[in-house]
Amino acid sequence: MSSIEQRPRRRAPWVFAALAALLAFLPLVAGPYPQTIARSVLTYMMLAISWDMLIRSGQLSFGIAGFFGLGGYAAAIGATYLGVPPVLTLVFAAVVVGVVALLIGAVVLRLRGMYFAIVTLALAEIFRIVMHNWSSLTGGPNGMLLPRSAFDGNSVATYLMMLVLAAVVIGVSEWFRHSRIHFALTAIRDNETVAASAGVNIYAYLLTAFAITSGIQGAVGASYAQLFGFVTPESSFNVNYTLIPLAMTLLGGMYGTWGPVVGAVLLGVVGEYLKLFIPYGHLLVYGVIIVLVILFMPRGIVGLVRGHLERSRRTTTASEKGGAA
Amino acid sequence: MTGFKRLQVALSVAAGIAVVALFLWRPTAVVYGLQRAGLYASIALPMALVLGIVHIVNLAHGEMMMVAAYLSYAAARALGIDPLLALVPTTIVMFIVGIVLYRLTISRTVDGPELNQLILTFGIAMVLGQAVNMIATSQPRKISLDYVSASATVGDVSFGVYDFVFVALAAASLAGLYLFLKKTRLGQAATAVGQNPRGARIVGIDVQRTYTIVFAISAALLGIVGTFFMTKFSIFPTVGGSYTMRSFSLVAMAGIGNLPMIVVSSVILGVSEAAIQAVPHGGGWSPLVFFGLIILAIMIRSFRGGRA
Amino acid sequence: MRSRTLLAVALVLVAGMAFANGAQEGAAEPIRMGGVWPLGDITGEQGSKSAQLAVDELNANGGILGRPVELVVIDSEFSPDKGAAAIERLATIENVDFFIGGMSSGVHLGQIPALKRYRKITMWTGAASHLAEEAIGPDQDWYFHLHPWDYNQGASYVEGWTAIAERYPDIAIDRWFLAYEEGAFGSASFEATQQLFSDMEISGESFQSAAAGGGDYTAVLERAKEYDPDVFIWAGYDADALPIMEQARAIDFAPPLFVGAPPGWPASFGESGLAEGVTLYGMWAPSLNSVSDVSAHYYQSYVSTYDEEPATYFAPLGYTAVMILAQAVEAAGSMDQDAIIAELQNIEYDSALGETISFAPSRVISNQGIRQQKILQWQGGEQQVLWPFEFATSEPEYPFPSWDR
Repeated sequence: MSSIEQRPRRRAPWVFAALAALLAFLPLVAGPYPQTIARSVLTYMMLAISWDMLIRSGQLSFGIAGFFGLGGYAAAIGATYLGVPPVLTLVFAAVVVGVVALLIGAVVLRLRGMYFAIVTLALAEIFRIVMHNWSSLTGGPNGMLLPRSAFDGNSVATYLMMLVLAAVVIGVSEWFRHSRIHFALTAIRDNETVAASAGVNIYAYLLTAFAITSGIQGAVGASYAQLFGFVTPESSFNVNYTLIPLAMTLLGGMYGTWGPVVGAVLLGVVGEYLKLFIPYGHLLVYGVIIVLVILFMPRGIVGLVRGHLERSRRTTTASEKGGAA
Repeated sequence: MTGFKRLQVALSVAAGIAVVALFLWRPTAVVYGLQRAGLYASIALPMALVLGIVHIVNLAHGEMMMVAAYLSYAAARALGIDPLLALVPTTIVMFIVGIVLYRLTISRTVDGPELNQLILTFGIAMVLGQAVNMIATSQPRKISLDYVSASATVGDVSFGVYDFVFVALAAASLAGLYLFLKKTRLGQAATAVGQNPRGARIVGIDVQRTYTIVFAISAALLGIVGTFFMTKFSIFPTVGGSYTMRSFSLVAMAGIGNLPMIVVSSVILGVSEAAIQAVPHGGGWSPLVFFGLIILAIMIRSFRGGRA
Repeated sequence: MRSRTLLAVALVLVAGMAFANGAQEGAAEPIRMGGVWPLGDITGEQGSKSAQLAVDELNANGGILGRPVELVVIDSEFSPDKGAAAIERLATIENVDFFIGGMSSGVHLGQIPALKRYRKITMWTGAASHLAEEAIGPDQDWYFHLHPWDYNQGASYVEGWTAIAERYPDIAIDRWFLAYEEGAFGSASFEATQQLFSDMEISGESFQSAAAGGGDYTAVLERAKEYDPDVFIWAGYDADALPIMEQARAIDFAPPLFVGAPPGWPASFGESGLAEGVTLYGMWAPSLNSVSDVSAHYYQSYVSTYDEEPATYFAPLGYTAVMILAQAVEAAGSMDQDAIIAELQNIEYDSALGETISFAPSRVISNQGIRQQKILQWQGGEQQVLWPFEFATSEPEYPFPSWDR
């Protein structure tokens, strides 16, 4: 398992990173519309990466939208009542959401599989309901406007903000992959009992991963609130913020940073492109694409490419199945 | 396991006491709570079946019910008949839809990472919803039916009684599934596959065929539920989505593979929701009760060591 | 290595396609209008089709200023970021001259930052939330808002009901019960009603709309029945309409005035026997054809072109948005933005909604168009206008018939 993941990545990441950097700077010269699309792609990309970081431990979260929305509200509330400057609301939201996740995680991280998934989903709903009903603080169902948005909405500056945030998230994800935490988390996913008996403190590692990934989702939610200048319960906690990043990760390939990245770029750009040709009904085609890709590329795009790579190098590994157990 | 059983009994007793107390305070809340429980359980049972035996979370669950509802609606409209007369044809069509969906798509993902099935069914849900949206538009549809307003009057309190069909439906589904799983060869094989697919294969059970049939039965049940659903509620392309999440929550609350507990969980949730709505201005908090209880149930079970 | 390079090339290609697409459209010979609607929803679908109808009509009559008119429509998908991206694309790649369209305050809030960057003349047909008005802010003379704000609607109900109670003395309107869906739409309606009807007895209770996964109204209806109001109003969505009637009947709740305030009604609601005597709020109904020539003209061309009925007032609003702009540009005699804005601010446009539309400041913005919802009633399967009396097509049926009809 780990031999597949470790060996081929020596030179390749650098080529890939250089390419990604090139792609990332392309919208800067291409104008406001590509910048808007790219911002949206980066938003979903970061959510996808953070989700993937947790699934590397085997813990399936359905709560992305919850932490995303909570981050947006943290930013709006921080900016409105505490006067936190726009860009710092991202950090503020990350910390608030990270702490909330730490407290919740301390209780719910003993759950596994579907039970953990459902609890994260239910928590997301609970965050939404609380924001919805706590009218005096949050504006209730109507939501609230941010006093002022980051860089006054300047397209290039906000894109750069998202790019920096995405770079940080990718950096954290890569650090996750190459640090002790990665081996601990992978060990948990592969065989929790063995991991525990080998002296891995499962609970502490899971808690760290949960807090960090939730914090990322909170920061992304805050950036979204900054981009559009408002939060409402219905849009900020929209279940699409859970489902779309999940789909992107699975299409791109799980258990790595680049799968979510590729998935987000592809689905994000294809989704936007499709509707120019099929204004009425493009979502149908989008759904068909998701179905077809899953059917014909079960390991995601990065998985497919990696598979080709492995085969061309004739690296045969006994345990070819890298999927979830 | 005994601790787990004891917990179930304790939960059921507590629920019973709460229901009686509520009945004394506000009788109609109990009536509506039980009706709601019937609706929840009848939609969740087919999902529990699939999750328990085929081990997939079918995110297209609600959309399949939606499609069934539209089928019955279209039949009723086109032929000018009562939609309940479309019950049998819709159920048969949904059974076939179940077979086709399973064979054509889901069966092809069993070799990949299991999360792929999640995203596959998410894609199917999207396709179903969007296809119906293109054909029928987003405008809600509802046939006005006199019997839906059937009511009973006790003392000076009138209440609707039609929704008891959902209670009957849930009871019939549970009984039918129970008989199927325990008494028929196919059902016993399905139970075996659900518990240990590899073992079942070794003793000569055709696992894929079993999965197909179980999935198709679930789809057929959704055909029945969808038909009753459209007599009572407006239907529109996104109507099913929230029931997928609700059913999934119920199954998790009940414990995967535990069909009777689905009914108990539904009663707890349905009656609690009706109770909170009976409190003035409590309506806004009823989803909180729903999700709060689910978390509570799952956490209690995990602390009792009944983790799956 | 090769496959990886291949993947990279593919990625660049896909991204490049989207970025490069439509970068040049040539000189702006036609006058271009950019529309954003949720095309998967009946409101946006029909709103955009109605706008196209107006554009076709203009072109058949020689266009505007002798120039042809083009409409570019992009789906907002009911999502703020998609809605904002649509504005960006229309502004920078499609190079449109005007923005039109709109449905949903949530989407609009996301679009407002982009709209404020481009400051093109905008004729918006949706978004009732006062929060959207605050987000636009004062002194934005390029922004024209056709749809009434939530408080406009509330005020028009007060006005309408007071007028009706005056004209028909047996209609009592002293005791109100509002059942409102718990989202932004319903709760804003409730708050507005509480403020505006402050000299009356008001109670209310929220419910979960079928559109949001609910559909059980029994608790709310029971509370309303106990309260015994003169006027019962439910503010929800089209999906709630028939089930509410059926459940009200099941518990034998028949208030003297049974009012529904959804933005649209479900297909074939009028066919139901339960619809009779239900009062409603709206801006347009086919019955207006008998009192408004513009409405009749619009209705006939819509039905003959698309072979379906306009289902909500967002359809005629889409038509109206295009036509108002056309009239202003013709009057201005050029595409000069200031001249067009000046004409729009003085316009008197005889609309398909019955009223003559003109723009004046509302609480925050400079150019608010329609301020009224109409009070209508389902009679004989059709929506008849009760108020404003100048467009009335029928007399009120009062009281609401009992259920053993």
